Amino acid sequence: MIQLDNVSYSYEKGGGVSNVNLTIQDDEFAFLIGPTGSGKTTLLRLAYMDLFPTVGSVIVSKYDSANIKAKKIPYFRRKIGMIFQDYHLLNDRNLFDNIALPLHVMGFHKDDIIDRVTESLEEIGLESKSNHYPNELSGGEQQRACVARALVKEPDIILADEPTGNLDPVTSFELIKLLEEINIEGTSILMASHNYNLIKGRGHRIIEIQNGTVRKS
Amino acid sequence: MDKMIFLLSEGLKNLWRHKLTAFTAVFSIFLTLTVAGSLIIVSDNTGKIIQYLRDKYKIEVFFKQNVSNERIEEIVKEFKSIRGIRSTTIITKNDAKKIFKSQFGENVLDIVGFNPLPASCVINLVKRQKDKLNIRPIIDRLRKFSEVDEVNYQGRLINRIETTYQTFLKISIMLLIIILIVSVLIISNTVRLTIYAKKELIKSFQLVGATRAFIKTPFILEGIFHGLIGALCSSVLLFIILKFGSNFILSVAGLKIDYSFFKLFLILSSLGVVISFFGSNRAISKFLK
Repeated sequence: MIQLDNVSYSYEKGGGVSNVNLTIQDDEFAFLIGPTGSGKTTLLRLAYMDLFPTVGSVIVSKYDSANIKAKKIPYFRRKIGMIFQDYHLLNDRNLFDNIALPLHVMGFHKDDIIDRVTESLEEIGLESKSNHYPNELSGGEQQRACVARALVKEPDIILADEPTGNLDPVTSFELIKLLEEINIEGTSILMASHNYNLIKGRGHRIIEIQNGTVRKS
Repeated sequence: MDKMIFLLSEGLKNLWRHKLTAFTAVFSIFLTLTVAGSLIIVSDNTGKIIQYLRDKYKIEVFFKQNVSNERIEEIVKEFKSIRGIRSTTIITKNDAKKIFKSQFGENVLDIVGFNPLPASCVINLVKRQKDKLNIRPIIDRLRKFSEVDEVNYQGRLINRIETTYQTFLKISIMLLIIILIVSVLIISNTVRLTIYAKKELIKSFQLVGATRAFIKTPFILEGIFHGLIGALCSSVLLFIILKFGSNFILSVAGLKIDYSFFKLFLILSSLGVVISFFGSNRAISKFLK
């Protein structure tokens, strides 16, 4: 569960979010929609505690931004999968090693890493490209690889920040379908997007944000 | 265990991934350690020279005419307990007579009718001492014996040699410290360039839940590998220079300079690892603040 209570955050140069009250339930799939600069990324950064609210508190699972210690943040992030518009894949290692990274961080045994990564690659349909480097993959494949990297650690929650921003409509649609399948298996998903046409009519909750304020939830 | 293997392999792979930085860092360490190694070799061999000179230091104590051989033996036993004295040799009146004959070819008894040569004791001083060998307190204690007539020693020369050696040691240590501090700063700045180039990697590590220690370890290991490679290069260079240069120095200055490669590598790799560890740790810690 993600819970934002009366959350405000402002950047030095202006912008941010103000007075946000929001709850994402376990197993829920919710879209966060709003124009560029409306505060979607800020809200997600607050959710994975890359930013801390100036007012209010963010509670994700059992972690509360008001009293979490800096050294606990890495352990908190292990429970969350993150997907970004610009992928954040590492170009100096192949697809397999990119997906395996969170498992190395978490101290998994080598054999478990091989099993889990292979399974994730099969799930996203990229098992034949495990030795490819990110720059040898298409945008859609790179984004699916990001999904696999988020998924491989079996997170409670996936936060996706404009994951379809660099993809064509067909690939974007396929990616959302993939996220829906993951959600059915019990992972909560909060996905930010500015493309209303892509998300409308899918039967999921839509949270609208404008100028840093949640308009409709 | 698997985590350690992963971190170790990351550190090794980073050497190849950051080739240019690795080259710069290894080259800086190589230069630093070559200078530091030269300084260590020179200091060590200067230590050998000072030991050789100290071996030549000699104090001659002359006893009064009426002191018996038995009493002299007792007094010399007491001399041995004085700090700074390594060995003593008693020269009895009879020995002195023999020495006179061997040096001048004549019996002193035939010249003056009796033996005027006093009994004496030759004192050698300690060789292996890092701090300054202060001869003045030894002389003062020797002179306190009422049976002692005269004490001869090369006071001014010994003092000058000892003072020069101590000054040399102090300058060497200061230079070594300065070199080490400067190299830590150079390594730190070189590694910082890698870190800035690897911002994405660090961000990714943070986002997937890596702890500070997990992020830091590959960079520090990479730094340690730089240190070891730099140390190996400078040890090889210094060893080659020593191998070919020592014969030249022996022929010109009559001084044999030798050094074991293993000892040299051990000292330089320890220094290299310490420099790299502090340099890379400083850089990555600053970045992660």
